[in-house]
Amino acid sequence: MTGVRVIDVGNFLAGPYAASVMGEFGADVIKVEHPIGGDPMRRFGTATERPDATLAWLSESRNKRSVTIDLLQPDGVALFLKLVAKSDVLIENFRPGTMESWGLSWDVLHAANPKLVMLRVTGYGQTGPYRRRHAFAHIAQAFGGLNYLAGFPGETPVLPGTVPLGDYIASLFGAIGALVALRHAEATGVGQIIDVGIYEAIFRVLEEIAASYGLHGKIREREGSGSFVACPHGHFRTKNDKWIAIACTTDKMFERLSVAMGRPELSAPDQYGPQRKRLAARDHINKLVTEWVASLDRTEVLDKCLAEEVPVGKVNSIADIFVDEQFAARGNLARVPAEELGEVVVPGVIPRLSATPGRITNLGPKLGNATTDVLHELLGVHADEIQRLRQHKVI
Amino acid sequence: MNHPNTTPDKPLPLAGIRVIDMATVIAAPYCATLLGEFGADVLKVEHPDGGDALRRFGTPSQRGDTLTWLSEGRNKRSITLDLRHPEGVAVFKQMVAKTDVVCENFRTGTLEKWGLGWEVLKKINPGLIMLRVTGYGQTGPYKDRPGFARVAHAVGGIAYLAGMPKGTPVTPGSTTLGDYMTGLYGCLGVLLALRHKERTGEGQYVDAALYESVFRCTEELAPAYGMFGIVRERAGSSHNDFAVPHGHFSTKDGKWVAISCATDLLFARLAQAMGRPELATEDTYGEQKTRLAHRHDVNEIVRDWCGALTREEVLERCYATDTPAGPLNNIADIFGDRQFHARRNLVAMDAPDTGEQIIVPAPVPRLSETPASIRSLGPKLGEHTDEILRELLDLDETQIAHLHANGVV
Repeated sequence: MTGVRVIDVGNFLAGPYAASVMGEFGADVIKVEHPIGGDPMRRFGTATERPDATLAWLSESRNKRSVTIDLLQPDGVALFLKLVAKSDVLIENFRPGTMESWGLSWDVLHAANPKLVMLRVTGYGQTGPYRRRHAFAHIAQAFGGLNYLAGFPGETPVLPGTVPLGDYIASLFGAIGALVALRHAEATGVGQIIDVGIYEAIFRVLEEIAASYGLHGKIREREGSGSFVACPHGHFRTKNDKWIAIACTTDKMFERLSVAMGRPELSAPDQYGPQRKRLAARDHINKLVTEWVASLDRTEVLDKCLAEEVPVGKVNSIADIFVDEQFAARGNLARVPAEELGEVVVPGVIPRLSATPGRITNLGPKLGNATTDVLHELLGVHADEIQRLRQHKVI
Repeated sequence: MNHPNTTPDKPLPLAGIRVIDMATVIAAPYCATLLGEFGADVLKVEHPDGGDALRRFGTPSQRGDTLTWLSEGRNKRSITLDLRHPEGVAVFKQMVAKTDVVCENFRTGTLEKWGLGWEVLKKINPGLIMLRVTGYGQTGPYKDRPGFARVAHAVGGIAYLAGMPKGTPVTPGSTTLGDYMTGLYGCLGVLLALRHKERTGEGQYVDAALYESVFRCTEELAPAYGMFGIVRERAGSSHNDFAVPHGHFSTKDGKWVAISCATDLLFARLAQAMGRPELATEDTYGEQKTRLAHRHDVNEIVRDWCGALTREEVLERCYATDTPAGPLNNIADIFGDRQFHARRNLVAMDAPDTGEQIIVPAPVPRLSETPASIRSLGPKLGEHTDEILRELLDLDETQIAHLHANGVV
């Protein structure tokens, strides 16, 4: 994406992560932040010795340059519009109406740059009765139907992993929309808006729950560590108190597992060979697998399963991941220097392209590290004007 | 329910792009689904005997396939082709010559065994873009292991983070989440590669691994371990490493709400909603660091407050003060929700042949000038075989009959 300029005026992760992905593939990403404090993501997560950067900020603001502009001041708005005129994509995630209240409505932005692609990510989208409500990832995930499904049947719904999945998934949809729109803008000169609600990004990836409720009134419920459609399919504790995942999605996979367990008779057609028989005897099957797994160390279970090509994996903690040979071989843990902090280990770039791979050139920038460069070189603002803008705290 | 499926006045931005989806189940096929929603011509290449396993995955439809297939097979055309048959390979190669994107998810080495590896296909079509999805990617010591999304959730690190503290790790909500996430990353890769191809003529492949898609979305899990040795753990229904309150709370009517106060301002609003503004002063719980230090006390106060009210009452009070809160919707809640209706997130389509009405999620993302659309649900196996052989490859009726007779299609 070299040659494409992206302005990221968002906060936290939903939206800004789409800019991170574009930056990984060569787009020039300019993070526009408020001169006082900047993106609150700089203070969210595990603190470092640098007061302007948590680890989450450093990792997810990779490859960005920071420019400070106060959009509450008319001079700031004018400057921002100049920047928009020289950019291809604008990413924002304020509550609907916020940009408009600063005089930065779509009409104004579009007039400044008719080819502009604008990605707007919010909890509930730009339209509908809830559009102005506050939502962070977990709230939008809950609203979109994911959080209801995590946990044991009839028990407390838990977080589907203590990570903001909704922010990432909404950003991925947003980045796809931006790339499609950019292609259209380059071909026709017509820009447009991409409107993503985090909740609907989540709802979109929930398989057939809408169709089966619509047709049969079936409400999908929490399924613990298992699955309603396949058995055995879940997490099992090993003798050394670790966990593994086994997924026998098909009869063939169960046949292999039965061999791995040294009990091939279990997968006979009149025993538990067919999935429907296993589903009917789910508790029994799960008990057999639970007991077998509990009698062995994690490495033993894995070796036996892998020898038979059973779909199996460690339930990895981050400590496991750091010593895993697949993560190492694929370069999933990138060591990138951060100013004043030394090397920080961050997830490497995906997707992985063979001819034009992405890269990480720098981690989250210091607040305003590129303000002068961008104003001077890109927008042609003179040094004395930059001085004036600084004095008035516009930048 | 709505039928917003086509907007005739708006162009489909990927019209003219042809995609072969020779993959199965959800991960790589979902990339093709996304491209199809934006107008690409998606040809689903399936084995004549049964086709894509997704046709049998999930709740059965009247037609004999499944609801997931009908929904995620949207906009695709189905052609059967036996790639273990030399004539099938020949037909496939002719198709690849006229295609922009191929999506596949066979175990590593399978396509190569059939004589259809990347090197071969690249010679046939130097501009080709190929999405290759597997559990562990095309390289590394585990590349030949079978991988499903459940295993990817485990290996990629999120299953470990879902569940009660020290309890059994649970499914992170949906067993196919990692498949969809990989479809999204794959689609991003394909669109980036398409951009490069349209400028330079050079094709390439995208090497996607299920576990990597999951791992990429783990925020600062890796840097925090790398720098401070912090191993993030399961946190049940409240994740309070950085913010309090931040989690799920049950209400008097046996339902659940999510409340999340990432900043002090938002907690002040919650205190207001609770009718206890004094909780948000400097010497009470006004500051995040105080709330983090007394997370159990703060969570208990919020839990007691929620437990004394119905879900609707809690939410009304939170919304009135602009506190970030929302219901834990089940699918019945979603069907009754005004926002889902206003945004037309639920689309009713008539299934072909049976007339059964199927409700599926509308396309995301939403583009203002070139919106995506659902033009048809998942096709019958081989429904478009003859049509594709005729139109794309110019085969005549005799040649097509020959392929049928030999079991190639």
